[in-house]
Amino acid sequence: MFSESGISIGLRIRDGAVAAVLIRSTRMVRAARLFAKRPHAEVLHLLPAVFSLCGTAQAMTGLAAMEKAAAITASPAQKAARALLVQAETVTEHGLTIARDWPTLAGGQPRLDHAKRIRGALAGLRSVLYPQGDWLSPGGGALTADCDRICAAIDQARQSITQLMGHDIGELVLPIAFQAWLERDPGHLPGLVRAKGWAGLGAAPFLPMPEMGPPDLAARMATDRDGQYLARPDCAGRVFETGALAHWAWHPLIRDLMDRHGTGLLPRLAARLVALAEGLHEMEELARDLRTEPACSLPGLSGEGLALTEAARGLLAHRVVLNDGKISQYQILAPTEWNFHPEGPLVRTLHGLPADPDLEWQARLLVNALDPCVACTITLE
Amino acid sequence: MCLALPSRVVALLDDDQAKVDLGGVTKAISLALVEDVAVGDYVIVHVGYALTKVDPVEAEKTLALFAQMAAAGEPA
Repeated sequence: MFSESGISIGLRIRDGAVAAVLIRSTRMVRAARLFAKRPHAEVLHLLPAVFSLCGTAQAMTGLAAMEKAAAITASPAQKAARALLVQAETVTEHGLTIARDWPTLAGGQPRLDHAKRIRGALAGLRSVLYPQGDWLSPGGGALTADCDRICAAIDQARQSITQLMGHDIGELVLPIAFQAWLERDPGHLPGLVRAKGWAGLGAAPFLPMPEMGPPDLAARMATDRDGQYLARPDCAGRVFETGALAHWAWHPLIRDLMDRHGTGLLPRLAARLVALAEGLHEMEELARDLRTEPACSLPGLSGEGLALTEAARGLLAHRVVLNDGKISQYQILAPTEWNFHPEGPLVRTLHGLPADPDLEWQARLLVNALDPCVACTITLE
Repeated sequence: MCLALPSRVVALLDDDQAKVDLGGVTKAISLALVEDVAVGDYVIVHVGYALTKVDPVEAEKTLALFAQMAAAGEPA
């Protein structure tokens, strides 16, 4: 009946190297079609319930698409509150990967207490901001700007991350501090990667996602009748990379590491740390823009809207067509469809790796660095 | 997409583990990231870890939607 969807990756070895990378996905990329004919409020309620890891980003992107369709503009305070919730999800997701997956990938035990503390610190933000539970109201719900509680939650998350890393996360993403940390402690994953000489592992041509998304995104989604684009997106034949490395490539630490290691494994791991540090910083900034506001009351919504969110794993796009408050068409394009495309960034990264005894481990590291949102198996063929 | 399939806890095991049921398939998962989970609760599972507890009424609604997706031809 039901099973977790997933991605399987086959590495075909020829002449001592990876000659082909075969990606098969059972992800349900056209699931949003079932939102058709439902009232918009029901779909907004379903979005965070249906998606396990990125429910907040999915709900916020859906809400923004519906507001665009109806030509509604949320207030700056509402936009700040929503961005804060998306950043909280991003910080939580990166924190979970770093606490749970990185130690395991380095051959150690997951640090689940830290993962739990980070999740716990930020889990209550939604009900602090929207105590009446109407966070998904088009135009904005009843917003409460309890900045003391919000800042205390962010501070608690920051402290948990500092305990996990053994260093203040804000300082850690300064190039000099990062280098010193790498050399001081080879026990954590980035230190191990450096010590093994894998900093540049998987470096390949870089096609970062444009900041505002692919230029043909709106037209391609509007004309994607069979769902082929949602399953295997491209832009004039190019498959962009989205996520932490693409988004933070301009950051001084990432620029410094990419100068030396290209798009290799170490810059990819460091980009996750940058996303974590910058996410916390942005949350603190957004908390200053909050204002207490009443909820909006709106008539039936009609029109067509497309909205983009930089979610934990990269660019997320929702397109909706509304007719008097009911969904006529709903489409979702998720970041994993770019990063795990059969001709995309993961394939570019794995292709040509030498078939030495560490190949499977290296492939697991590179897959984790690109961060699929579903379980992923790797087989050597 | 990373669908949140609610699984029902059918037994609590040692070492913060539990046995869950999803559509008739049972498997062992970790409860290390959640608190106060009891037999009969629904949890969202991802790569072997329960991530959140879900209200049973909401869980039933979500499962009904996934059943419609499966019936419409999408693998769930």
